[in-house]
Amino acid sequence: MRELRILFGKELGATLTSPIGYTIAAVFLLVLGYTFSLTLFATKVANLQYIFHQMYVLSILLVPVLTMRSFAEERRSETLELLLTAPVREFSIVIAKYAATLALVLGIFALSLVYAVILGRYGEPDWGQIYSGYLALALHASLLVAFGLLMSSLTENQVVAAALSIGTFLMLWFADSVSYLLWPPFDSLAINLSLIGHFKPMVSGSVFISDIGYFVTASMLALFLTTWALAQR
Amino acid sequence: MTISPTYAAVDDRAVKADAIRAPSPVAISAVEVSKHYGRATALERLTLDIRAGEVFGLMGPNGSGKTTFMRLLAGYLLPSGGRLQVAGHDVVSESLEVRRRIGYVPESAPLYRQMRVGEFLSFMARLRGVPERKVKAAVERIVERLALSAVVDKPTRALSRGYRQRAALAQALLHDPEILILDEPSNGLDPRQIIEMRQLIRSLAGQHTVLMSSHILSEVEKTCDRVAVLLDGRLLGVRALAESCDLEAWFLSLT
Repeated sequence: MRELRILFGKELGATLTSPIGYTIAAVFLLVLGYTFSLTLFATKVANLQYIFHQMYVLSILLVPVLTMRSFAEERRSETLELLLTAPVREFSIVIAKYAATLALVLGIFALSLVYAVILGRYGEPDWGQIYSGYLALALHASLLVAFGLLMSSLTENQVVAAALSIGTFLMLWFADSVSYLLWPPFDSLAINLSLIGHFKPMVSGSVFISDIGYFVTASMLALFLTTWALAQR
Repeated sequence: MTISPTYAAVDDRAVKADAIRAPSPVAISAVEVSKHYGRATALERLTLDIRAGEVFGLMGPNGSGKTTFMRLLAGYLLPSGGRLQVAGHDVVSESLEVRRRIGYVPESAPLYRQMRVGEFLSFMARLRGVPERKVKAAVERIVERLALSAVVDKPTRALSRGYRQRAALAQALLHDPEILILDEPSNGLDPRQIIEMRQLIRSLAGQHTVLMSSHILSEVEKTCDRVAVLLDGRLLGVRALAESCDLEAWFLSLT
């Protein structure tokens, strides 16, 4: 547990001292503020569904920018050699990086709570939908960060890591579209792999265990594969 | 067969015999250790013993397998075959135990660029298992020992090559390891820094077992108690270094 705390502290410190996190937070807020104002004035409806979908798309594009450094940079600067020759488990290194990056992403997401407060102040939003929407975003972020770390662990080139991550996320996003071309049971497999297929119901206020299970299982699988990739040396 | 005082080339069989008959307690034991990357061979059935408390040098041209052997010992790479023990622990099945007992400085002396020197050393001390209440004292002790006090508050990215090398060595010594593994510790240093590094390594002998690699024959000659020559992943010879030693002639005769 101590090694995890030490590694988490180091990762969080690196994240907070890097300008990348602040730049991404600024881009997030700018785009979300624009969308929020536009949809609120246009529809006069007090809900955050547009915002949640916007955050879904933005995070697919921006989380890879946060995760691409994780292992690729350590590998390039050879500090990974320091970490992997210290008496710490590979799994602790992976979990520390995952937790620190996820904390940053959730922190950025939390900034959007200001819109929920505004809606609550001036309207009557469906709070259940807002809670389930944030749950969906948190699970979505977990999956993106875990897969982003996996891609970063496979290369020492940050751009390649980001490109691989975005490619994987887009494939998962549109996985259900492929189902029309496949035979059973592969068609239902493709549908069940779809990122948006599991995200959408939660954002609409319907929380299913199967959707939560999808995000949790996919995150755990990616973390396991990242640990395995690190151990292959 | 014992180590030849005539410094003639040592054949494979002699190397093996020397390794088996190490008189002092053995700190590092390699038996038939191999490392392959696909079809490429980085190390081929290397058998070698390194005694506790000695300064042992690894020599050989680029690509001879020195760094690979050190990375195997440090747990950064896993052997493809053979048995490798450090301080009595197997590097594969007891990897964490091995890593607790070693201090390792890679060739490039990597440091975390976003950290200050003191911060980096504190982090590495904690990571290497120094108890929380002893971290500050351990860092202060090593900063003083390696004369890093002038740069302790500087970001590591602002350090000169000499200070980088010293900071990298400092992180390896923080937890007072039994075994130090130094990959090209004189790399990129100016003559004065090379002399300081040599004195430092010599001062560690006895309390620590030191395994170092170098391209510079004179450095190995002045620093090490014994030396091995690697070429294309194979161990060509092992010998003790004495006053009358002609290392250059021996090295040339092997390679």
